[in-house]
Amino acid sequence: MRSLIFSNNPASLTSRLGATIDVEQNHVRFLGDLILNLWDCGGQDSFMDSYLSTQRSTIFQHVGVLIYVFEVESRDMSKDLSYYRDCIDSLRKFSPTANVFLLVHKMDLVAGDKGAQLEKKRRELQHESGEVGVTVFGTSIYDESLYKAWSRIVHTIIPNATILSKHLTTFAEACSATEVILFERTTFLVIATSNPVQAESPFPPPRAITSGSSTPTASTALATSNGISSPPSSLSGTVIPGAEGGDAHKLNATRYERTSELVKALKHSCSRVREEFYALEMELPEFTAVLDEMTKNTYVLIIVHDPTIETAALKINIRLARQKFEELQSDSVGS
Amino acid sequence: MASSSNGTKSPPTQVQRTKVLLLGQRRSGKTSIQQVLFNDVPPKQTFYLEPTARIVKHVYDTVIPLEIWDCPGTTTIDTLGAPLAEFSSIIFVIDIQDSYQQPVARMLDFFIAAYQESPDISLEVFVHKAEAFTEDYKLENFRHIQQRVIDELLDISSDYEQMPLNFYLTSVYDHSTHEAFSRVLHKLIDSLPYLEDMLNVFCANSQASKAFLFDVKSRLYVATDASPVDAGTHNLCCDYLKTLNAFGPLYKSSSASPLRLTASSPSSPPKPTFYPSAAVTLAPSTQGTTLTYHLITPQLALLTLMQTAVFEDRRGLLEYNVVFFREGVQEISQVETDARTGTS
Ligand SMILES: Nc1nc2c(ncn2[C@@H]2O[C@H](COP(=O)(O)OP(=O)(O)OP(=O)(O)O)[C@@H](O)[C@H]2O)c(=O)[nH]1
Ligand SMILES: Nc1nc2c(ncn2[C@@H]2O[C@H](COP(=O)(O)OP(=O)(O)O)[C@@H](O)[C@H]2O)c(=O)[nH]1
Ligand SMILES: [Mg+2]
Repeated sequence: MRSLIFSNNPASLTSRLGATIDVEQNHVRFLGDLILNLWDCGGQDSFMDSYLSTQRSTIFQHVGVLIYVFEVESRDMSKDLSYYRDCIDSLRKFSPTANVFLLVHKMDLVAGDKGAQLEKKRRELQHESGEVGVTVFGTSIYDESLYKAWSRIVHTIIPNATILSKHLTTFAEACSATEVILFERTTFLVIATSNPVQAESPFPPPRAITSGSSTPTASTALATSNGISSPPSSLSGTVIPGAEGGDAHKLNATRYERTSELVKALKHSCSRVREEFYALEMELPEFTAVLDEMTKNTYVLIIVHDPTIETAALKINIRLARQKFEELQSDSVGS
Repeated sequence: MASSSNGTKSPPTQVQRTKVLLLGQRRSGKTSIQQVLFNDVPPKQTFYLEPTARIVKHVYDTVIPLEIWDCPGTTTIDTLGAPLAEFSSIIFVIDIQDSYQQPVARMLDFFIAAYQESPDISLEVFVHKAEAFTEDYKLENFRHIQQRVIDELLDISSDYEQMPLNFYLTSVYDHSTHEAFSRVLHKLIDSLPYLEDMLNVFCANSQASKAFLFDVKSRLYVATDASPVDAGTHNLCCDYLKTLNAFGPLYKSSSASPLRLTASSPSSPPKPTFYPSAAVTLAPSTQGTTLTYHLITPQLALLTLMQTAVFEDRRGLLEYNVVFFREGVQEISQVETDARTGTS
């Protein structure tokens, strides 16, 4: 069993991620059968002290992913960093293979050049982390950056994203779709996408490095070490495979995060009037789309630009594909 | 969505615009209201608005062409630069967190002068920034302000007992500003009874439980059927429109999207002009509700609520009724445009 650790400032994150990821609740079902053991650790000093002393071995054993949240404009950065160093030391001792993600949070409060400020923090934190590979994201609850970070994190713990991608690509072809995106149901984070239709080269461009992974561990290791050694710009670059295919559509690069954010917001609006969001179909000037349940634990979004394709046809295709994806998913999580 | 020229493009001919005057003390929230409704500014962003130094006239085209005058907090009847009779509606914004004495006195100066010039004018009071208070305290303050305005008005003269004042609790941080401004707008639309009739007929024929005609970009509703407006439903419709507006550009293709709008291949039968539509299903069972969206004119969309079972069984009928509804609205809009440009 792998566990995720939340630290420092996470209540705001979790509130946005949906009711399942709750502060009190430690077990989160992600994709139904993948149980994440979440440790949302309060950031107050007294708690921090106990994590690092008496509870140290309990907390830091069998950690799959450590997510540590810093405030971008902290009152006491040296104290934050000293706790962080202790955490990293414990992690190295008890779970040396864990992936480490650092969120530099409340980026919306930075006045002036946010990019430069994040870069400075990134270098500082990488320095503090010693040999441990870390991936740094700037986040804020006021835009889609949080979804981008979380999708990337979640991606490292999904066992067979590549196989899913392959099947989504086949499914996209069957629907004459430009793109098919699979979301986790409760969090609405992106799990996998179809690969863009590419006529020119069978090899993906180098930036798609994370998509080449066949096992989650390899993918994570790659992504992380890549994050450290390469120039900073690639870190903030596209993370999800297919995000920037060499196709002529030139779709918006932040569309996945923004979609997660939009759908979560709509779900929230529905719940406020005691309704439950279920499915959405759109024929807009720009595209045709259907967003519908794929499996028990996932939603699928099909984007079509061909104006002759009707939403009814897409819905039938989803119905026909359900069984297959249900099987795929149970295979993947069971392993 | 195209064609809501906001001051940038000048209208083709001289249209006679319906004028709305936005007044209030300094920092009461006038510019914020205008920007959030008509310029898609996120509420949080209004924090950075500069004080308004001189009168700014914003043009907005919806079912009727509007001209909204955003004034500095210091504007007086003399510095307004136009007779009050030119305005169809005056909205006075009072900050619920501020002291009331000065704003109320100033508001009554304006209202009395306007009422004397044109007794038909709509006089609207937005008690603003209401989200800052708890529900009880908010209502208490709201009642207090209303009472105070009425008392002071009667102190001045009993002639003003008939003055038609409307009060609204508003905040840019929720849907209340949209709701309030929609109601202000309704009084300015001459064709409102026809639109409402058509919505009633539409609901009856399509078995819809509720129908709104919304201005897509501002998310104000210009008309609704006779059934009561429930705040929750209104909020959901606003959010749904916002979602649809945001989705469009996200998956816009630089190669394929423009082609969608030009008609399909010449060999196929000529398709009518493309009208976007959407539907969101609430609840997995057919017992639940479906919220539909159909674009009616470039600015207006029809939103309806109906049982999912009805939506699924009678979709053809629904689409058919939409076509008739669209023709009706387009006809009404045409009459309106002709009357305003003098080309009847
Ligand atoms: N809490 C809260 N603050 C608001 C609301 N609407 C506006 N504000 C804030 O009030 C302040 C003043 O807003 P403006 O829109 O500039 O006010 P104004 O009436 O145009 O001010 P002048 O142009 O100086 O007359 C800004 O900081 C807004 O963010 C609201 O609904 N709630
Ligand atoms: N400006 C800004 N404030 C935030 C952001 N995320 C959280 N906050 C605020 O920070 C405060 C503390 O957040 P919380 O998640 O409860 O922190 P915790 O004590 O570490 O769990 C709350 O008032 C949040 O509204 C952000 O991205 N930007
Ligand atoms: Mg102003």
